[in-house]
Amino acid sequence: MAEMWINMGPQHPMTHGLWNLRIKVDGETITDAEPEVGYLHRGIEKLCEDRTYTQIIPITDRLCYGSSLTWSHLYCLTVEDLMGVEVPERAEYIRVMAIEMQRIASHLMWLAAYAADLGMMVGFIYGMRDREVFIDLLQALSGSRLTYNYPRIGGVAHDLPHNFDRDALRACEYMEKKLKEYEDIYDGSKVFMMRNEGIGLLKKEDALNLGVTGPPLRGSGVKYDLRKDMPYSVYEDIDFQPRSHPACDCYARYRVRMDEMWESCRIIRQTVKKMPKGKWRVVAPRNAPEGTGFGRVEDPRGEAVMYVVGNGTDRPYRLKIRSPIFVTVSAAPKMLIGYKVADVVAIMGGLDMCIGEADR
Amino acid sequence: MNLYEFCYGIIHWLVDLVNNLWYWLGDLLPWWFGDFFTAVGDFARSDGHLSVMTILLEGVVILVVGLVNVLNFIWIDRKLSGRIFDFYGPYYVGYRIGGWLQNLADGIKLFTKEIITPAKADRVGFLVAPIVFVGSSVLVLAAIPFSHNFGIATNDSGAGIPAGVLFAFAMFAIAPFAILVAGWSSNNKYTLIGGMRSAAQMMSYEIPMLLIVASVLLLAGGFSFGEVVDAQHDIWFAIPLFLGFIVFLVCIVAEVEVQPFDLPEAEAELVEGWTTEYCGMRFGLFMMTSYLRGYAGGALTTALFLGGWQGPRLIPDEFWFLIKAYIVFFVVEWMRWSLPRIRVDQILGLGWKRLMPLAILNLLIAAAMKTMGWF
Amino acid sequence: MAAGESGRIGPSIDIERARTRIDEEPEDKVVRRLMERFQATISEPAMLGKGRVRIRIDKKDLFDACRYLKDSLGFEHISMISAVEYDARFDIVYHITSYQSKLLLELITTTTKDDPSVDSVSSVWGGANWQERESYDLMGIVFKNHPKLERILLPKDTLYHPLRKDFR
Repeated sequence: MAEMWINMGPQHPMTHGLWNLRIKVDGETITDAEPEVGYLHRGIEKLCEDRTYTQIIPITDRLCYGSSLTWSHLYCLTVEDLMGVEVPERAEYIRVMAIEMQRIASHLMWLAAYAADLGMMVGFIYGMRDREVFIDLLQALSGSRLTYNYPRIGGVAHDLPHNFDRDALRACEYMEKKLKEYEDIYDGSKVFMMRNEGIGLLKKEDALNLGVTGPPLRGSGVKYDLRKDMPYSVYEDIDFQPRSHPACDCYARYRVRMDEMWESCRIIRQTVKKMPKGKWRVVAPRNAPEGTGFGRVEDPRGEAVMYVVGNGTDRPYRLKIRSPIFVTVSAAPKMLIGYKVADVVAIMGGLDMCIGEADR
Repeated sequence: MNLYEFCYGIIHWLVDLVNNLWYWLGDLLPWWFGDFFTAVGDFARSDGHLSVMTILLEGVVILVVGLVNVLNFIWIDRKLSGRIFDFYGPYYVGYRIGGWLQNLADGIKLFTKEIITPAKADRVGFLVAPIVFVGSSVLVLAAIPFSHNFGIATNDSGAGIPAGVLFAFAMFAIAPFAILVAGWSSNNKYTLIGGMRSAAQMMSYEIPMLLIVASVLLLAGGFSFGEVVDAQHDIWFAIPLFLGFIVFLVCIVAEVEVQPFDLPEAEAELVEGWTTEYCGMRFGLFMMTSYLRGYAGGALTTALFLGGWQGPRLIPDEFWFLIKAYIVFFVVEWMRWSLPRIRVDQILGLGWKRLMPLAILNLLIAAAMKTMGWF
Repeated sequence: MAAGESGRIGPSIDIERARTRIDEEPEDKVVRRLMERFQATISEPAMLGKGRVRIRIDKKDLFDACRYLKDSLGFEHISMISAVEYDARFDIVYHITSYQSKLLLELITTTTKDDPSVDSVSSVWGGANWQERESYDLMGIVFKNHPKLERILLPKDTLYHPLRKDFR
């Protein structure tokens, strides 16, 4: 067959979210690729210029609905940097605990979708079933299952419910048992390894140059995790290791995410143990001073950055959001060229795309 | 009493019943008209007519048994996958019998859908492909007897089709042709790719499969199912030809296109693969035939390797055959829901590079055993 | 103070001290090296917190400064490229990270309202490619020498730039 351009998407059962991938195919091998985003552009940055600072928090939840706590936390960090608000320690610990639970839930959803794409329906159902444990915990904390609207500028919205620490520890034990089972199911399956090893190589220099962050970067051997190297919130007091893996293929990215789940369980245990008593929120001023604020977190998908410019009123003058997936997807052609059409699923699935944040 | 005699008896009784009516009419009406009815009655009672009607009735019986088994298989598949996935399978339709009627409900739903032919599709190919596919798969069933007495081609001498195994595998192998035609005539880039992948996969797994069948036939000494099963009265062929048994199972799974070998119809890549453009009952026929081929594969495995219908005399032979076929199906389903999909070039690599040498090795083992006089 | 001139900052970096002390703080070192090289166009260094520095630069030296940052000072990763519109100018803010020395540099250039164009840094960092396309798409800033300056989030034939203040 001659070379032809195939459109995978925008309506496609495999692609998570609404985006288009045009690949140039020669028989079964991919010779060129071009991702197209922008189908889900909602104009969030413009929207935020008309809302007060507190009204923007639910909007930031919907940036990436797969891991929404990280984004609202990032926004609150940014605005607290602008306004100069000191957050009480209990609020910081609660935020970290909630974020790590969100990280596990997000990675489990990634695992479920990844297994479903590769043909293993079992993995999908098991991943979603275990995610329910953490979603239930977060529902007890904030009241909703997917977009939480939980952090506030100056702390968190409400305190922890009763027995939350006991439930969190139980969830961690359950999760560690299940992680062992997942390693048997996935790492022990020859077919899974056949579909993942050696696929989608992204060398270290390319990853650094193209701005890839998060698990794809750590899967290429760069041991850089924002929580450890440029810590924010209370991550300095928590003992954990950023995980990386030297093989630059899909298996490495999968492995990095599984290891991150182990680390998140450790972090949750430590926050439960170290949780101080005290206030969980301070009142932030309504009007922001003139100036700029900057915030940066380690999203489950990479490095998420926000930059806010205040002008003395209670609405931001400019809010700029950097989403990790936006840049990682632009690096996708590097990972796709030379492989087969059937590998597109594995490679793009390994990047954990959530188009809500790419298009804003 | 074998199936032929049973059906003959039924037809004979039926013809006698109807003949009373013809002869009475012949007597009643005037001679230039009544002769006609008498002649019809005489014709109906002739041997040729009775044999033809018997064979038709046999065909209907086997078809009904086969289709009921297929319904069972679909139900087991969905219930089993539900249990593996930690939820219930079909639950509400047919509540008290575990959701068995769900299949009928789905069939009725498919019947009521509008059948659309794409405008630029090749009409002849589009129409003919399902017919060939379904027809050839059902013909496989025709060749496999459930026991000495229950098979479509048992005539009054009691023998089955002389080259039953050969016929069954020949019919099994027509499917790639139909799939190619279906994929190509839908006028769709994706179905074309899916059809070609599917045909490539099926054809490359035919070869190890037929090599293993050749080794079984070598040990059995004959080409018909009766002889193959009788040759296993000491020991089932699965035990000396264990390698062949495993490879044969893998080949059946690849032929029937269940996971882990179902890339041609993988939802994640190409929507439904080569059946994308078929709607309504045509699609239903494809799905049903897929399970029918699974059933046929299980039946072939049983007949060739697991001793066919031999077993303790507690229950009739036919039930032993069905039980063994169900066990094979159960193992295939277990494998299906536990493994991810293999990429299509890896599937072809597996078929050519790994399975064919093993099949040849198996043939050598069989030849060695035959030379040593063990069989 | 006009909006955006100075954020909530810590002590401002003493330029004299930065010139004379040898590599005491990594932030000081970066500022010193940049000031040595681009004396005329750098202005207003400020320390925004632990590990964060802000510097303004003129737009004609932007490309050279970025190349210098990447090659000699070890800033391998560009985090974000933002465009902010003020009354009389556009500010383009580059957030550049160094993995080795764990620093974040906020580099701000200015361009005029009637001809918003800057040099593109996509040949220095490939990650800047899509971010510059986004700034072009939403804010209308033209990046010279960009390999493919097309709209990315909006349809390709849109005529306006939505994030500008005069777009309602």
